[in-house]
Amino acid sequence: MTRLLALVWPDLRAPDADRSAFEPMLDRLDDLSPRVEAVDVGVALVDITGLGALLGEERRVAARAVALTRGVASLTVRCGVGENRWLAALAARLAHHERPDAPAALRVLERGELAALPVDLLPADAATRQRFALFGLTAMGQLAALPRSAVGAQFGPVGERLQDLARGHDPRPLVPRQRPERLGRRIAFDPPLDGVGATALALRRACAELCDRLRTRHLAPGRARLSLYLEDRAPLRVELAFPAPALEPDWIARLLIGRLEAAARNRRMEEEPRVTSIGLAFDRLSDPASRQLPAFEAQAGRWEELRWSLERLSARFGEGRLWRAVHDRPAASLADRRWRLMDIGP
Amino acid sequence: MSLQADVSRPVRPLPELLAALRDRGLRQGVDPGPMPLRPALPTGHPALDAALGTGGWPRGALALIDAPAGGGATTLALGSLAAAQAAGGVVAYLDPARSLDPATAARLGVDLTWLLVVRPADAAEAVEMAAWLARDGRIDALVLDLAGLPPHSRGLDRLAGLLVRSGSLALLLAGDPARAGADVRITLRRRAWLTVGSDLVGQRVEASVERNRWALAGGRAELDLFFAEGRRVDAQLRAAAQPEPVAVERAERPMLRVVGA
Repeated sequence: MTRLLALVWPDLRAPDADRSAFEPMLDRLDDLSPRVEAVDVGVALVDITGLGALLGEERRVAARAVALTRGVASLTVRCGVGENRWLAALAARLAHHERPDAPAALRVLERGELAALPVDLLPADAATRQRFALFGLTAMGQLAALPRSAVGAQFGPVGERLQDLARGHDPRPLVPRQRPERLGRRIAFDPPLDGVGATALALRRACAELCDRLRTRHLAPGRARLSLYLEDRAPLRVELAFPAPALEPDWIARLLIGRLEAAARNRRMEEEPRVTSIGLAFDRLSDPASRQLPAFEAQAGRWEELRWSLERLSARFGEGRLWRAVHDRPAASLADRRWRLMDIGP
Repeated sequence: MSLQADVSRPVRPLPELLAALRDRGLRQGVDPGPMPLRPALPTGHPALDAALGTGGWPRGALALIDAPAGGGATTLALGSLAAAQAAGGVVAYLDPARSLDPATAARLGVDLTWLLVVRPADAAEAVEMAAWLARDGRIDALVLDLAGLPPHSRGLDRLAGLLVRSGSLALLLAGDPARAGADVRITLRRRAWLTVGSDLVGQRVEASVERNRWALAGGRAELDLFFAEGRRVDAQLRAAAQPEPVAVERAERPMLRVVGA
């Protein structure tokens, strides 16, 4: 029997929330199960079928998942376990209602428990809910007990689907996300290095090493992430998204160092920080030869190559130098078009 | 046999002598067409391509277009960028004076999708940025618009060296030709105005090739530079052009008219 674990982080679902922690949390959940689905921002679904033999009862499995995600960010989390995605999601919702103030809450929901729950928990629109009330349907058990033909005649296909949910049936499968491939390298310094600039040589060496490994697989990174671990301060982290997948270790290292020095300046450190280690990771790996656009338009390929040069040019000369013309009304005739220049710098 | 000069023969002026030498060279089989060792980018004007002797702007050249203000240098440069784009190239316009109007460039045939506009802080930075772009060789042609800016020659020699290695073309718009060690130098002189009806639509200029590192200099071409009517309209106007001035009243519809400058 399938068992699914739904995890909901209410703090991540707020409109103004910082959602950067969600993706690393999903990465951590990959260590628990190979089938993890990102349903929405702040909502994850994990297939925990068969994990009982390894980790024990479902409560322990859920606790393991929460512990893994807490390694990224310590956020309030609601967990629900059920045999399909509807039951798991509803269980997480009930856990929130039952223990609103707890940092972590778990609810296991079985199909038989649905009958006593109110129909308001079904994902129905306001008009359908009003009609449920008119017919005197207040509990899911009442809706589940009705003949399917009668529900179909009164409420149409929407009603039939709601009745399926009330009976605990949900045919939607879990769609596991593609696990993003990453390549990382960590270098520790003993004794620690003085200053951010002193790490340049090690960083260049790490970039060259990772690029060599990717070159043999005909892959190129689309993004680099660098963490600088300091002796007595919080680590410095910078990220560099490349304009196109590239295997240019020297330039990747130079651009990362440039961003790192800017980040150090923004933090306004009075003394040079002592660096204990650096962690470099490449992700968004892709085959640079698989880009199709140049096959259709000659300039597109040239421009893709040029974007790297522009990145360097921006790093050397600063912002506000590189522009490209765009027109506001593409469908207008040539005479009626209004052109404006758009800054394409970093 | 006397070695004394024959003073009875009239002395021919130098331009005439040069023209005769060029003509004689042509008769002796000197190929005036494109040189095979130096590929070229079209200028957008077949007459100028022929006058340059290389079939267009030589790739890897730093070419100076010398013209007075309003003399058609920018129009010729933008037309050349459009022609380079039509050949599949990516082009750039370095504009430290912030004088480029995208709409004008579009009407002259430049596809703005593949035009990089660079706005350096000053002339020195413009030359340095041009060198950066030239070094990569990913830009086929670039215009370095230094017209009206204080003279700055430092870096142009280095730019010329980088261009030769990368094969990119740089068109330099600058008022003072002495300050540029250009490989190719073109001088534009206005010869006539072009009108349609009462509208001034362009100018007829004479382009003189003052220097060409890869071909014989001295070629001349007469170019019709239309202000902002675009290449398609340009073709229509060319079709309507008459060899002699035509009075508007005598034509059924407005025709292209050449008025002395």
